[in-house]
Amino acid sequence: MKIQTTFALFAGVVASGFVAQAALADEVDFLCYQDLNECEVIEGMAADFTAATGHTVKVTTVGYDIVRDQLENQLQTDAAPDVARVTNLGGFNKYYMDLAPYVDADFWEANYSATLPWFRAPGGEDQGIYGWMTQLTVTGPYVNVTMFDDAGVDMPEEGASWDDWMGALREVKDTLGIPSGMAMDRTAHRWAGPAFSYGAKFFNDAGEPILVDDGFRTFAETFVGWHEEGLMPADGWPAGAGTSYRNAAPLFLDGSVAMHMSGSWMIGNYANNITDFEWKAVPIPCGAGGCGAMPGGAGLVAFATTDVPEASAAFINFMAQTENAEKFASATSNITAHQGLQASGVDYQGVSAQVADALSVFAANAGKAADSTPQAYTFQGYAKNFAIYGVVPDYITQAINGDITLDEALAAIDADVAAKIAE
Amino acid sequence: MFEALANAFSGTAWPYALVGYVAIGFFVTQPTGGFGSRVMSAIGWPIEVMQNVTGSRLLPYLFLIPNLLIFGLYTFAPLFINIGFSFTDGQSINFTERDFAGTDNFSRLTSEVQIDTGGENREDDKFQRAVADTVIFVIFQVPVMILFALITALVLNRDIRGRAFWRSIFFYPVMLSPVVVGFLWTLILKRTGVLSLTLMNWGWIEEPIQWLSDPSWSMFWSIFVYTWAHLGFYMLILLAGLQAIPKDLYEAAKMDGTPGWRMLTRITLPLLMPTLLVVTILSMIKAFQAFEELYAMQVRWISVVSYIFETSGLRGQPTAHGLGIAAMASLLIAIVLMILSLLQLWLTSRQTKL
Repeated sequence: MKIQTTFALFAGVVASGFVAQAALADEVDFLCYQDLNECEVIEGMAADFTAATGHTVKVTTVGYDIVRDQLENQLQTDAAPDVARVTNLGGFNKYYMDLAPYVDADFWEANYSATLPWFRAPGGEDQGIYGWMTQLTVTGPYVNVTMFDDAGVDMPEEGASWDDWMGALREVKDTLGIPSGMAMDRTAHRWAGPAFSYGAKFFNDAGEPILVDDGFRTFAETFVGWHEEGLMPADGWPAGAGTSYRNAAPLFLDGSVAMHMSGSWMIGNYANNITDFEWKAVPIPCGAGGCGAMPGGAGLVAFATTDVPEASAAFINFMAQTENAEKFASATSNITAHQGLQASGVDYQGVSAQVADALSVFAANAGKAADSTPQAYTFQGYAKNFAIYGVVPDYITQAINGDITLDEALAAIDADVAAKIAE
Repeated sequence: MFEALANAFSGTAWPYALVGYVAIGFFVTQPTGGFGSRVMSAIGWPIEVMQNVTGSRLLPYLFLIPNLLIFGLYTFAPLFINIGFSFTDGQSINFTERDFAGTDNFSRLTSEVQIDTGGENREDDKFQRAVADTVIFVIFQVPVMILFALITALVLNRDIRGRAFWRSIFFYPVMLSPVVVGFLWTLILKRTGVLSLTLMNWGWIEEPIQWLSDPSWSMFWSIFVYTWAHLGFYMLILLAGLQAIPKDLYEAAKMDGTPGWRMLTRITLPLLMPTLLVVTILSMIKAFQAFEELYAMQVRWISVVSYIFETSGLRGQPTAHGLGIAAMASLLIAIVLMILSLLQLWLTSRQTKL
């Protein structure tokens, strides 16, 4: 009888343990988009997270436009996932769950202090920990090395200005008879870096956007001039209407231009898809205002509406740990946001020398921008930057096409941005 | 057999429920006639009961209720939501987070002065330009569409060889997704597309032309592609109208020696006028709503619907008042379209009376 009672008690304890484990093991609903293989890598690493904590992660991989266009509406109607990979870091602030109660804040501050403010509300009072930057992205140019070689044109050295580069591209264009020299994605996100180099400040000392100043005007004039002389393609900015984004990668891939002003997120794409010419990333060109490049990237965030706050926070915290951040950066060929790893260097296993070089170049671009054009980091952290991204190409395109004068375009940019950010 | 029946009934309750349902049917309807009709009456007992309760006059409306609910959910609900957005402020789609704004969005859309900043308003210029460009598109596209749809219908109404084949060829673009149409024509019309390369090979042009963004060509190709994509639909309606014209009228005209042109102007067109009217109004409404093909082709000008789509901020660039401004623009356009629809109804009823 005693044995039976002991056995029953033991069985009860074991069963209650299983029940407790089942109750603690939550499922984290994770909405992810990927430029190359980021979601697949995270899904693979989530298995380790499950082994360590018992929590599972359900990864739903969608196109970037789903995250960009629909996630906010999901959040407004309480239909959001627990965790998502987002790029509008400051814009989503009001929906975030603060991870601080669940994580080692000292570790996060020590390793991610440069990017944590991007997630926070403006004003400086918000000190929450809201997300892990899966990677840093930096804007910068790629060049078609084969074209430069064929044209017998030397590439400008590091520290060269945009004028130097455009001069070299002019020579390549004229010698080879290609349609244009340089193409840029149609968004102010790519436009901002060169504008910083020409001296544009974008923000006043109080952190309010001012946009059109002397540097902005100078670059706008130069940019319109590049289009007028055919150094930039008619298929690029002028072919877009309104605030719409237009990717210039197809022009680089089909050999219509010798330079593509894009960003580090294209490394994997170009490494996989360019087979008929040699390409490389080059240091960001400079100017009177510095060597401007726009930093950015995607972050893993949890939302306040989640039913599983502990598991969601644990998952993000797991991914942010040094060994996992390195594993992720290595497997996705991305620049890590982990400051400790930036200092010690990520061991990119199995990537080609071309990709490794490109990663170094873009990482250096981020450093140069931080030193010489700090407004780039202010712009990245500005909660309403997405509204500005569309307004600039809208009016600059009209000036390029001759629909309005450049003065009218600049006045319109000022007025329209003011209206779009007005509360 | 009995074993199979017993097996079917074991472990589940639905066969008993079915038998019970039919038994109730027999009890309630007391059917007469052959076995088949008695079973059908028993199965349809809820309808018979309903008919007894409501009477045959109300029954059709009862049948309409499910459709009306679905229609209401997906048509009227968005309409009322849009009206709600038009008169409220904020970036959220959740009404609890939106404040009543009165006519502020109307001012933001049409006023010279931006009411939030006190500075110059750009939204009115953009909206007016989108409306003006759309009106130009409609003015040219609708007559061109009707003319070619009519010519095609007249040709395909004749007894030509392979008539069915030609009809399907002209109708084929209607079955394509508008986005596919847009991408297809982009391949032809982009700067290094088929058209530019072909014309360069022939020596007709020296430099490739970006047909879709060149100001001289963008509207032309917008009209061309849109007409190509939708011609088949209107052609089909006109073809039906042509076939409804009594043949004996043409036979009598032939016997009188009436020339073909006179038959067209004195018999065909007058009798086709009600159909032409419907086609005109329908194509006008559709042209006002032009979006998908133009968006996929990234034409240089912005249609009214593109303007609403962009301004709403639902495509990744949310702005402080974009949703309300876009909803107000949508409401104004809806009013114009409603007037056009009423015009259609009035003209159609007038034609019918004549």
